[in-house]
Amino acid sequence: MIYQLTHTTTYDYVEPVSLSHHVLRLRPRELPFQNCLAHAFAIEPSPKRFAAHTDCYGNRASFVEVEEPHTKLVIRSSGKVRRKAITRPHALETPAWEQIRDLSRGIQLGAALEASEFLFDSPLISTADEFGDYALLSFSKGRPILDAVSHLTQRIHEDFRFDSEATAVTTSVNTVMKTRRGVCQDFAHLQIACLRSLGLPARYVSGYIETLAAPGKEKLVGSDASHAWISVYCHAHGWIDVDPTNNLLVSTQHVTLGWGRDYSDVSPVRGVILGSGDHTVKVAVELQPIPDDGTPPVAAIIE
Amino acid sequence: MSFSPTGALAKVDSLFASYRGPERLYDESVTSSGALRPAWSAFGALLEKLGPDELQGRSENARRIVREHGITYNVYSDPEGADRPWELDLIPLLIPPQEWRTIERGLIQRATLLNLILKDLYGPQELLRSGALPPVLVFGNPAFLRPAHGVRVAKNIYLHLHATDVARSPSGEWWVLADRTQSPSGTGYALENRIVSARILPEEYKLSQVQRLAPFFAAQRDMLRALAPKASEGADNPHIVLLTPGPLNETYFEHAYLARYLGFTLVEGGDLTVRDQCVYLKTLQGLQKVDVILRRVDDTYCDPLELREDSFLGVAGLVQAARSGNVTIANALGSTLMESPAFLAFLPSICQRLLGEELFIPSVATWWCGQAAEQRYVLEHLENMVVKSAFSPVARLPFLGRDGVACEKLAAEIRARPFAFVGQEQVGFSTAPTWVGGKLEPRGVAIRFYSAASGDGYSVMPGGLTRISAKSGDPVVSMQSGGGSKDLWVLSDRPVLPITLLTSSGQPATHARISTELPSRVADSLYWLGRYSERLESTLRLLRCVLGRISDESSAEAPAELGALAGILVLTERLPKKFEGRVPARELEAELLQLVYNPARVGGVRELVLRLRQIASTVRDRLSLDTWRILTQLQLDSKTRPGRLPLANALNVCNTLILDLAAFSGMEMENMTRAHGWRFLDFGRRLERAYNLADLLRASLFVDEQSALTSILEFADSTMTYRRRYFAEFNLGSVLEVLIADRTNPRSFSFQLDRLQDHVLGFPEVDGANPSQTIDQQVAALSNKLLSIQLKHPSERARELLKDVLSETTSDLSTLSDQITKLYFCHTVSVRVGARL
Repeated sequence: MIYQLTHTTTYDYVEPVSLSHHVLRLRPRELPFQNCLAHAFAIEPSPKRFAAHTDCYGNRASFVEVEEPHTKLVIRSSGKVRRKAITRPHALETPAWEQIRDLSRGIQLGAALEASEFLFDSPLISTADEFGDYALLSFSKGRPILDAVSHLTQRIHEDFRFDSEATAVTTSVNTVMKTRRGVCQDFAHLQIACLRSLGLPARYVSGYIETLAAPGKEKLVGSDASHAWISVYCHAHGWIDVDPTNNLLVSTQHVTLGWGRDYSDVSPVRGVILGSGDHTVKVAVELQPIPDDGTPPVAAIIE
Repeated sequence: MSFSPTGALAKVDSLFASYRGPERLYDESVTSSGALRPAWSAFGALLEKLGPDELQGRSENARRIVREHGITYNVYSDPEGADRPWELDLIPLLIPPQEWRTIERGLIQRATLLNLILKDLYGPQELLRSGALPPVLVFGNPAFLRPAHGVRVAKNIYLHLHATDVARSPSGEWWVLADRTQSPSGTGYALENRIVSARILPEEYKLSQVQRLAPFFAAQRDMLRALAPKASEGADNPHIVLLTPGPLNETYFEHAYLARYLGFTLVEGGDLTVRDQCVYLKTLQGLQKVDVILRRVDDTYCDPLELREDSFLGVAGLVQAARSGNVTIANALGSTLMESPAFLAFLPSICQRLLGEELFIPSVATWWCGQAAEQRYVLEHLENMVVKSAFSPVARLPFLGRDGVACEKLAAEIRARPFAFVGQEQVGFSTAPTWVGGKLEPRGVAIRFYSAASGDGYSVMPGGLTRISAKSGDPVVSMQSGGGSKDLWVLSDRPVLPITLLTSSGQPATHARISTELPSRVADSLYWLGRYSERLESTLRLLRCVLGRISDESSAEAPAELGALAGILVLTERLPKKFEGRVPARELEAELLQLVYNPARVGGVRELVLRLRQIASTVRDRLSLDTWRILTQLQLDSKTRPGRLPLANALNVCNTLILDLAAFSGMEMENMTRAHGWRFLDFGRRLERAYNLADLLRASLFVDEQSALTSILEFADSTMTYRRRYFAEFNLGSVLEVLIADRTNPRSFSFQLDRLQDHVLGFPEVDGANPSQTIDQQVAALSNKLLSIQLKHPSERARELLKDVLSETTSDLSTLSDQITKLYFCHTVSVRVGARL
């Protein structure tokens, strides 16, 4: 599966902005099951400085500085991504969840050391008994981890309502637990809080999901969106991605940008401007499947 | 001098004869049998020679110097605690040369070790990969700054200044209690302590061969200069700033003090901006590149773009500037990590691993509860443990003597998240003789030592900040909880040469780049300092006029003159509307006393003094010691109680404060360099004076003017000028001439406008263009409008015209103020923007 991707963020400012700094985490990550065939940014007004670095989680981050006064800023990220199917173990063949928990404790070496980065509280997610208690219903004694996680994913999908009005970027995961409403970011945070409260490493994944047209209708342009889901550490089986918003195991419909402990580590666009701050922001994402012409995964990537 | 044969006299007068340390603790000065320790014998004898009366006098002297130098410490929890005077004990703590060499060696080792750990954890993380450290100490640690990972730092120095809190155990061993690696405070206080103690014990200081502190600061400064990015234009003369959170921070005094002492520019986050991945200072003359930032802002607050989004103390893009190697930040972002007490449990083994040595100075016994055996031990001994977060050096309350309930609660918390806690052995601190109530008493002491990166290693300050407990046997030693401090004398076995970074005038002696640029924020503050000092003065002068007339009066009804004055006070919005027309003198009096005594009264004397003081404190590093002393005095003088003669006392207060303000403006006239800073200060003063005069004259045209004339002349301090010129009766025309048109009268309107014009012509260019011409024309227009009116024998029409013109004038002056603000002080606030999923 190959996707043609465009992600456009448009800021409109009431007062002219004299200086703006942004950090973008918008480049699809190279993964065993995902190749970024081409990627480029188009930014208007053109930045005085554009510099990329790899952050501590291995995501590509770009620093953008716009110095000329502007009332509109457009950041367009476009690229081509090849997404392959993931071979996953059968849920019942994965180790008991307690085993993963115990392996993640104490001194860690190798892959488990990396996993322990995602075991503790992070800026937007604090572990607590209420999350652990909620999760325990799915994590019965000795249950294989992927089986338990899938069950938890399904419960979150059923117990929580998608409601884009109910929460904001700063809504805490505790509030989400109480109100039982939110968006993909909230559900991802909630599930991570549940897993970490049980002592299981879990990370936040930022990316896109392809939305399908309703039967008999044409897919609407711009109906795709930024998306977020989670990844849980399964030791010998590596990290397995699940999507609590859609009650899915992550598949070829998902394109991964990057991951971190929570949203604050990998927000796709983060910025600080010098100006009055009154603004509107519009985001449009398009993920269009195109025929696979066998393009090798080495095409020029313009940063 | 001869002692009485029985020795009775010596006994009575002897300071140390009755001095004993508490049982089971180590005393710094005497052994358990009460004999002076060798290091103290010479100094002890010198103290005996001075005797208690003399020492008491010197102790008071020390307090006075502390107050005059304006050495203060802000206490967070206390609303009245802002600017609490620093407490310094008269008797220094002595450390003999031999012992010092051991301590010094241990501190250098420790700073080196912590720096190596930081280098590893913000780089390859071999300590985690090899299992030498449990990952939770880093990944579970809120102080581990992810965006700083992989950011390379100049010469691999993360820890430019390291502070170590040390205490002495009952057996006489030194123990490290905690490390401060974020942006350790106290070096400035240590230096001030030294200046005061060397002044009050000059002979003793000289004879004791005390090691000097100045070389340490010189080394610190030289190192920062050497660490400037090499690619910088002025690599041989780098631009160094000290980044402060601002005047509300507990150690702001020190930030201003150190900036001045080291010759760095004191800046706040809003003064800096990142352009093209470099850091710049916003000055009146434009952007100036910054090479090195000595930071006193906590690392998470340094950059709203990549660190805490809600921070207003930082600079957007600072992390990126550091990442691209364009600025050196001291201490490096992320250095706070090493303050976590949990590391103490692992230092001995890591020291062996990285340096192949024992830890020379051991840490206080620390059990990290993330390990099963340690957790068990802590839980079993909970009553006698100091329990801390594993990640923050602040201890959990209560420290000691927990009852069963408190213990159970704490134990449950520890069991739930064991890795987040450490238990530490309770250490009995040593005591040192302290001057309390006319005699020596033992007080617990803890010392903060400082090591600064220097050359290829570290150099240690031969001294430190000694903090003492508030009560004998009190285990808590903290400035926040009300203890005091001592100077620390490290003795030398050789004579010591005097070295100083300051000249006798208190200015840095270095000829390295001294910052001359004026940050826009500072210009803004100076402008308002000028305005508020003038606003206070005119309020005081007006109050003095009225109060003087009330106290002359015995009748219940205010006479014409008082009525006119009250009318003016109403029209200039200093009194509520109900005082228009004739009012009972008593009610008026009560209201006026409110303006003098009530600190909550907006526009009242005390509120204005407080505002003046607040503004002054934001530019403290720009004000001379004497100026600061005057402002301190002003504040003290303003805080009086009505007493039994409230009216007489109020008049007194007004008189005193007017004199204090005269001293303040005298300092400004005679001692401030005629640079941009002075221009903005004086511009503010002139603008405010012109405004107040116009406002007052306008108001007086609405009241029974004949009665008001005397008071207005008195207010404008122009009575003598008038009499000398006119001899005659007061008449409006002549008064207007003196107060508006007379260019030679420093209180007249024309005089203020002339000064404003002068200043405008000297203002700096903005973005390559000089805006002075347009402003200059506006000021000239103001002046012409007023002078075109026939003032000498004003007709009724001229009066009406004058009222309008004066009212226009005040609004024109407000516009002028806005323009200046927009042109020169405009600090647009950074705002976070982001899209939602």
